[in-house]
Amino acid sequence: MNQISTFERIVRGLLIALVLLFFLFPIFWILLMSFQTNEQILRIPPSLFFEPTLQNYVALLTGRLQTAAGNLDIAFMRNLGNSLLLSTSSVLLALALGVPAAYAFARYKFRLGESIAFTLLSFRFAPPLLVLLPLSLFFRQLHLTDTYIGLIWVYQLICLPLILWIVRGYFEDISPDIEHAYRISGHGWWKTFRKIAIPLARPGIAAAGLLAFIFAWNNFIFALILASASKQPVTVGALAFVTASGIQYGQIAAAIVLSVTPTLLLALYAQRYLVEGLSLGAVKG
Amino acid sequence: MYEKGRDLAAAFVRKQVSRRELIQRASQLGLSVAATSFFVNQAMSQAMAADFDWQKHKGTNLKLLLNKHPYADAMIANLDTFKSMTGMNVSYDIFPEDVYFDKVTAALSSGSSEYDAFMTGAYMTWTYGPAGWIEDLNEYIQDSDLTNPNYNWDDVLPGLRASTAWNGVPGGELGSADAKQWCIPWGYELNNVSYNKPMFDKVGVKPPKNLPEMVETAAKLTKDLGGPYGVGVRGSRSWATIHPGFLSGYSNYGQRDFSVSDGKLKAAMNTKESKAYHELWVKMIQESGPKNWSTYTWYQVGTDLGAGASAMIFDADILGYFMNGGDNKEKGNIHYAPFAANPAASAPTPNVWIWSLALSSFSGQKEAAWYFMQWASSVEHDLFGARKMDFVNPVRASVWKDEEFRNRIDKSYPGYLEQHDVSAPGAKIYFTAQPLFFDLTTQWAETLQKMVAKEVPVDEGLDQLAASVDKQLKDAGLGG
Repeated sequence: MNQISTFERIVRGLLIALVLLFFLFPIFWILLMSFQTNEQILRIPPSLFFEPTLQNYVALLTGRLQTAAGNLDIAFMRNLGNSLLLSTSSVLLALALGVPAAYAFARYKFRLGESIAFTLLSFRFAPPLLVLLPLSLFFRQLHLTDTYIGLIWVYQLICLPLILWIVRGYFEDISPDIEHAYRISGHGWWKTFRKIAIPLARPGIAAAGLLAFIFAWNNFIFALILASASKQPVTVGALAFVTASGIQYGQIAAAIVLSVTPTLLLALYAQRYLVEGLSLGAVKG
Repeated sequence: MYEKGRDLAAAFVRKQVSRRELIQRASQLGLSVAATSFFVNQAMSQAMAADFDWQKHKGTNLKLLLNKHPYADAMIANLDTFKSMTGMNVSYDIFPEDVYFDKVTAALSSGSSEYDAFMTGAYMTWTYGPAGWIEDLNEYIQDSDLTNPNYNWDDVLPGLRASTAWNGVPGGELGSADAKQWCIPWGYELNNVSYNKPMFDKVGVKPPKNLPEMVETAAKLTKDLGGPYGVGVRGSRSWATIHPGFLSGYSNYGQRDFSVSDGKLKAAMNTKESKAYHELWVKMIQESGPKNWSTYTWYQVGTDLGAGASAMIFDADILGYFMNGGDNKEKGNIHYAPFAANPAASAPTPNVWIWSLALSSFSGQKEAAWYFMQWASSVEHDLFGARKMDFVNPVRASVWKDEEFRNRIDKSYPGYLEQHDVSAPGAKIYFTAQPLFFDLTTQWAETLQKMVAKEVPVDEGLDQLAASVDKQLKDAGLGG
């Protein structure tokens, strides 16, 4: 056992505190801003002491805000709902399609298997703007423009390759012997997949699902081009506070806090899966 | 009382009753301000509808694409007037300005028929027009079957009418006889000085009248105020850095971006006079501009003025207007002044940004959409927005003469009317219309950044810029 001296412990603690301060300070500052008025935020010099106000949150929740240019209608809660709906549905669909596909790519060799897997990965390489214009033409013909179903479909460009490739690596790391033993006992492949492969790969699936959720949540351009204002996610909605008559810093901060909360909670909940899942998939035995 | 209120408003609209009498008699009738305003709006709509069949497209559903802006807010606040006058239904999508033009370009380039009409800037129509995405509105304005006899197109400020019309020929003069009217001016901004009066008083300086004075005044303010900097101008790597104060001053010295001969364009930014102007501009930013000038856009320039971090701005007049209200720290302290950069010039020559309305060529109901556009750009709506909302600057000469509007502005925005009145005759777009506008103007801003950062001397930087621009023009078949 290595003995850690008190001095080393203090230095380590200080360094950790410094790193934490460096990374967490902007988030902390945004949290403070969300409880201030625009005037308090723009004070020179800025101050840590202020009389907190809930007006930013009230404005976001009620959808009405008094500004320099009169009343501002805010559709932020609707944007938040859209983000939740689009990200959750997209990840669920991508898991339903991607996990069996990842299993197939990991366990079976078939013609053009690698080419298909790589093609799916290449969706992640394509610059979204390049894909979007032809896609918007197809969407119009298929009457998918401005529909949630159309958007969830397009979001598969983000979620599916991610889930497929992370989970595939994970399946490959699990020894097939356990599955073989189970099959020798007379079980079919579907049952083996459900009862053995999926439970063993669960941390990897959770990690991939969480990452896909974060990427889907942060997407901006798909809904902007393919849908109307009523179906925009928070990433577009938050920009509404930047107007010609001024920037509503307080509302932006409150919007950031509200929009980060779901992903933060999910990430905290699934943190152990995330680290375990990613690191296990990364090293081959 | 309803009948009496209605008759009183109708008499007011027919100009048989003055505003003072209207208020007096309305209060005698026990009418609230809101009720009087309702009657006046109703009477205006009826007066508008008298000579024109506004109900021709009754039942039609229109869809608009709008930018989140006080102009759009003013329109939405008055939209029921249009709906009840025409029997049409109007829905709209509003997008934040940061992403607005991405949305417009995507909708138009994919030939989407979702939106019938949309907000645009005049510069954007230099792309949309030749691409065949938007309609030439001359055909509508001049058709008496489609345009109501009281529309009074000539009432729109001439510089703005010309600035939104182009014949599609690179280098072609804006507003020429063969120009197509790509959009209808809706609301606009010109560039002048907005300044913090208490700060100016504290230091004992007057608003500068020309660029050499501005350089001097800004330096004194920076030095004596001990905190706030002297002058805010934009500096990000974007075409939007060139078009406000910078180009307004540049054109005041008689300088152009390009020279045109035999239909071929040639860069004109490296003349002797242009170099002298750039020298002054760069010096001013280096001495008295914001620290992070190269990141400055509309938002930072405005926010600093409103928060008391800068003493003046040479930017859009309406930016100074917005910063004088709301929850800005310096609310009520901002004053306005006209600005002719060239000491030898007789009047300002501000470049303008014009929020306009354009008609999509992919719309399936163009006539109905034009009905909306002519209402939204009518005297009546312009008056409503200017009096009751932040629909400034209005584009119609008659609205600028309106007593109620002038009183409102004069009361809370000292010097605003004067700066506008002095500058409006020379206010127009001073850029040369050509398809590489955004790329070349952004490069100009980039060169300006290098000069301010002292990476390249002004002289050399402008020669390099001109050479690069000429090459790009030649490659695109636009240069000689």
